[in-house]
Amino acid sequence: MTLALSLALAFLLGLAAPALAFEGEPALYEAAKKEREFTWYTAHYDSETAAAVCKGFEKKYPGVTCNYVRTTAQVAFQRVSQDIKANLAVASVFSSTDTSHYGHMKKEGWLQPYTPRNLSELIDAFKAFNDPDGQFYATAAGLVLITYNTSLVSEKDAPRKWTDLLDPRWKGKVSIGHPGFSGYVGTWVVLMKKLYGWDYFKKLETNKPRIGRSINDTVTMLNARESWVAAGPSATTLISKDKGNPLALVYPEDGARLMVSPSALMKNAPAPNAGKLFMEYLLGKECNEIMVKFRQDPVNKTVKVPPGMKSIAQVKTIRPSYEEIDKGIPEVKELFRDTFGI
Amino acid sequence: MRWRHRDRSLLLWVLIAGVLLALVVNPLVRLLWASVHGAAGFTLDNYVTAYSRWRYLEALGNSLVLGLAVGLLCIVFGVPMAWAVSRTDMPGKGLVWAAVLGTFIVPSYLSAVAWILLAGPNAGWLNRGFMALTGAAAGPFNVYSMPGLVLVIAASSFPYMFVFTRSALDLISSEMEDAATTLGAGIVRTTLRVTLPLTLPAIMAAFIVEFLEAIALFGAPALIALPGRFQVMTTTLWQFFEFPPRVEVAAAYAMPLLLITVLLFWLQQRIIARKGYVALTGKGGERRLVRLGGWRWPLLGYCLLVTSLGFFMPMVVVLQAAFAKAWGRGFSLDNLTLHNLRFVLVDQPLTRAATVHTFVYGGVSAALALALALAIAYIVRRGLVPFGRALAYVAMAPFVIPGIVLAIGFYAAYTSPPLVLYGTAWILILAFTTRFLPIAYANSDAALRSINPELEDAVRVLGGGRLLALRRVVAPLLKRGLAGAFILVFIPATRELSAAIFLYTTGTQVLSVLLFDKSDEGNFEYLAAIGLILVLGTVAMVLAGFRLIGRDFMLRRTTA
Amino acid sequence: MSKLALARVGCRFGGVVAVDDVSLALASGEFVSLLGPSGCGKTTTLRMIAGLLEPTSGTITMDGQVISAPGTSLPPERRNMSMIFQSYAIWPNMTVAENVAFGLEVRRRSRDEIRTRVEHILGVVQMAHLRDRYPSELSGGQQQRVALARAIVVQPAVLLLDEPLSNLDANLREEMRYEIRRLHDEFHITTVYVTHDQAEAMVTSDRIAVMHQGRIEQVDEPRALYARPRTRFVAGFIGRTNFLDGEVRDDQVVFDHFALPQALFAEPASLSGRVAFSLRPQSIHLRRGRPAASQGTCAIAGQVVQRAYLGEHWDYAVRPQGSALELRVTARPHEVFEVNEAVWLELDPGQLAQIEDRPP
Repeated sequence: MTLALSLALAFLLGLAAPALAFEGEPALYEAAKKEREFTWYTAHYDSETAAAVCKGFEKKYPGVTCNYVRTTAQVAFQRVSQDIKANLAVASVFSSTDTSHYGHMKKEGWLQPYTPRNLSELIDAFKAFNDPDGQFYATAAGLVLITYNTSLVSEKDAPRKWTDLLDPRWKGKVSIGHPGFSGYVGTWVVLMKKLYGWDYFKKLETNKPRIGRSINDTVTMLNARESWVAAGPSATTLISKDKGNPLALVYPEDGARLMVSPSALMKNAPAPNAGKLFMEYLLGKECNEIMVKFRQDPVNKTVKVPPGMKSIAQVKTIRPSYEEIDKGIPEVKELFRDTFGI
Repeated sequence: MRWRHRDRSLLLWVLIAGVLLALVVNPLVRLLWASVHGAAGFTLDNYVTAYSRWRYLEALGNSLVLGLAVGLLCIVFGVPMAWAVSRTDMPGKGLVWAAVLGTFIVPSYLSAVAWILLAGPNAGWLNRGFMALTGAAAGPFNVYSMPGLVLVIAASSFPYMFVFTRSALDLISSEMEDAATTLGAGIVRTTLRVTLPLTLPAIMAAFIVEFLEAIALFGAPALIALPGRFQVMTTTLWQFFEFPPRVEVAAAYAMPLLLITVLLFWLQQRIIARKGYVALTGKGGERRLVRLGGWRWPLLGYCLLVTSLGFFMPMVVVLQAAFAKAWGRGFSLDNLTLHNLRFVLVDQPLTRAATVHTFVYGGVSAALALALALAIAYIVRRGLVPFGRALAYVAMAPFVIPGIVLAIGFYAAYTSPPLVLYGTAWILILAFTTRFLPIAYANSDAALRSINPELEDAVRVLGGGRLLALRRVVAPLLKRGLAGAFILVFIPATRELSAAIFLYTTGTQVLSVLLFDKSDEGNFEYLAAIGLILVLGTVAMVLAGFRLIGRDFMLRRTTA
Repeated sequence: MSKLALARVGCRFGGVVAVDDVSLALASGEFVSLLGPSGCGKTTTLRMIAGLLEPTSGTITMDGQVISAPGTSLPPERRNMSMIFQSYAIWPNMTVAENVAFGLEVRRRSRDEIRTRVEHILGVVQMAHLRDRYPSELSGGQQQRVALARAIVVQPAVLLLDEPLSNLDANLREEMRYEIRRLHDEFHITTVYVTHDQAEAMVTSDRIAVMHQGRIEQVDEPRALYARPRTRFVAGFIGRTNFLDGEVRDDQVVFDHFALPQALFAEPASLSGRVAFSLRPQSIHLRRGRPAASQGTCAIAGQVVQRAYLGEHWDYAVRPQGSALELRVTARPHEVFEVNEAVWLELDPGQLAQIEDRPP
């Protein structure tokens, strides 16, 4: 066995081995394996996507079990707050779509700082949404835009911008979620208020919108033909469309609402190493490839979007700042309840 | 020296009484305490907050309206059916009974989901059918409304009214009716002036049960009331639990509900007290069935119509969605798939865990409730501790407390020291046990009443103690009655949502919560698949129960 | 024409024959009891008369019209009868007055008439002061009176009573027996009364039909039933009796170790071959010394085997000399005899009632 052969062998082995994603991975993996499993509270996707993400993690890192609990943002936050109040350590990683949660959690000292090695792979535009103190990072993105049922509305009749939803011809036919339940909806409401003032919603009320709980309820409403148009999420609408339901998206001219959803490592995480490994994974290539399969927008710059959806970079998007969201969401919740009565 | 004279089992009875008090009284006391405490100690601020906003008052009013309307509609649904099954020669009684049981098993939030698909104002199947038939521009049915909510809840919970009324009818001695008949009264007059008035206590008791059920539900109102733009008490309470959870305000808000329920009971007692309806003895020869003649088929039709509202129609919808690729595409062969079932059973480990939890917690809490209820009933009936009668009231007290309020009480009592149960399965199990203790107690008491104390005395005279008498004589005699009671607690426990939604955590997920969470993902296919699992699982358990103890254990109140 | 007539009425449930070939005719205003042990078919018969059961054979007619027959029966509400049940069946949701008024309301009487008649009948049963009470506030006896009032006020063609007194205690029962008879005498309603208590039947009835295993064994006035039972069952069921089996030989009826002259019997000409008799304990008298011979009575030597003192009378068991028989004798309190004492039994053969010797 000569040196040449050994080198060749090493080269071949190097080709065959999985690409080491980041420095320090093996050590972290070993530490995570000792912890054996971790729990992840997420509001970022629907159950199917979350399940796939978890499975992908387990495939990449066998020996570490990923338990996900998928709920709406408010419920996730409620759960983790109750856990902490009762001195229970359940979740290791927390992913909410309501960024005001993170402000609160940071203030209470519930998070632990961790800088993922994979941060370099994050789409540059999203880096602005990471916590400067390293306590939470953008791991998911999505859009809130205008959706409609193609069997009821033709493409040329479909609304083109947010203010089109106020058109009386959509009376009784438009559907939205409720900011009291959903982080997506809360942030969207804050955005609309910023763009058009609260009058937007007063006028929307005259159109008698169908109000659900989660932003995903809009998909149900469209599918059930209870509503014809909606302010809905890009990902779940597209997934439903893939299944064969007659749905379509409109990227609004006045800007699609960009949702950047962070994830954070819990300070009292029962499995901190597994949690850290998971954070790396969320930013990594494999995870994002799974995410786009489920029509989520990737946060990893090396992953391309599939046909049928536009990449975030190509679309006009707007997003309020963290402070605006922090202050805004509780405020709009009350306003919403007063205007819409529930 | 006196100890030798005391029945050694006395200690046990006192202990059991203590457990009962802890289980029932503790959460209530904590609730009351929380309602009058704030950051700065004793305060009435919570009550002020709870009732200061018009929205909250409106929600309370809506709940009352809901409760009363549901109660009345259940009378319309359940009483004629009970009369038909108990007193007439209507055909198809077995089918009707099975359908009622099916209605009992299907959770109201599942049938709420199904009803959205059936009666959504724009695209519900019923509306579309109506429009197709009559050419109208829009259908008349709108499930997103108070009437819609009342219908959905009543269609789902009328089985209580049915069972109560039917039991009472079975127990009325037919001599009461024969006396009227021989004096010349026909069927209608006899039924209206003798039969039904004699069932009045049962109907009133059932009315109260229906009222309490309706105001305590969370799932169906969340699905229907919210889009219908109105709130009820339970959805408002949910708001108080958003972060940060304002348990104190929630407690203050929930208090009046207890008062209203107590008021209802007091009213009931006043109305029936003088007339002493105790004289329902099941003696008197064979019961003659009323011959309906041509009316048999319309009556059967009515029964099937009512059960289709709460069982057949929702199940059709659930089946369609569970096996559909995209439920929006409706019925078509190319829309069939097993993917949903596979996903929830195989790909989502949470479902398996939740299924196991659901049936385990249901079973354990049913067993605990029954054991405790039997012990308390025994203590009360045999007068084993002083103030035994008070124990009976305590055992029935949870009846008066809407499930969600009980859950909040449990939350208040067991999420902070000294006894922290939050996060464990026990807080759920104990909450279920307490919630369903009254049903178990009522049944145990009735069963115990049919046993002559002399049977136990015979054992004791021969040298055996009370416990031996219980084990070797009483328990075997009660087996059948208790098995029925077990099922009556088990089924509601498996589908309980209102209490579970406040008390569960990841490790203690149950199917009802899983189902509910799914409902806001827009993924009705998976939701239906999970619902199907829940219903089929429960049906399997009940059938197994039937097999073990005989088919008619719930059909007749046997007085052994 | 009889008011109510049962002609060969039978009722069978599956394989069980509850009532077998029963025939009975009641005159208007007559009070007839159906008396027998439980299971004899008396309640079934009553329910058929009421129309609550349909006969499987035979017919029931009232005033000449057929009201019950297999396959066709007038429903109970159209028979104009009243029934009183063992449990009284007073409706607990109505007051006493409302209970009593019910039947009249069904018959669409005017309110004034109802009020008057209810007041009147309540007065008759002495319940007027309790008219506004609910049944749960009444005692058993009071409830019984309400049941009676309710049944009588509608002036039924036939009044049916199904063991109405069995739930009352002994004193009350006695009182109510007389009460029922009194009401019958006042209103002259044709009455059928079912009971297992022979004293009740005796006190209240014009005639008694004794039933056994679905059949009527004998229908007679109470005194005749007692003095002249015609079957072994009737003799044994009504009061206590001695059964004597004998054989007619040489103008004598020969029993076990004693004989009685045939001519002294009630119907000497009808006696032949093997015969059986019932002799009531009161019909035998005990004497210390041999009684003087007199018209119509005989004396038999015997020995006291057992005795029991019951306060109102003595119960003696006496064995005729040489016989295996033990005759029961009822004696007055001052007629005291010791066990094993030799006594003479004095009896009148005319009081022996001949019974059909049916195998038991």
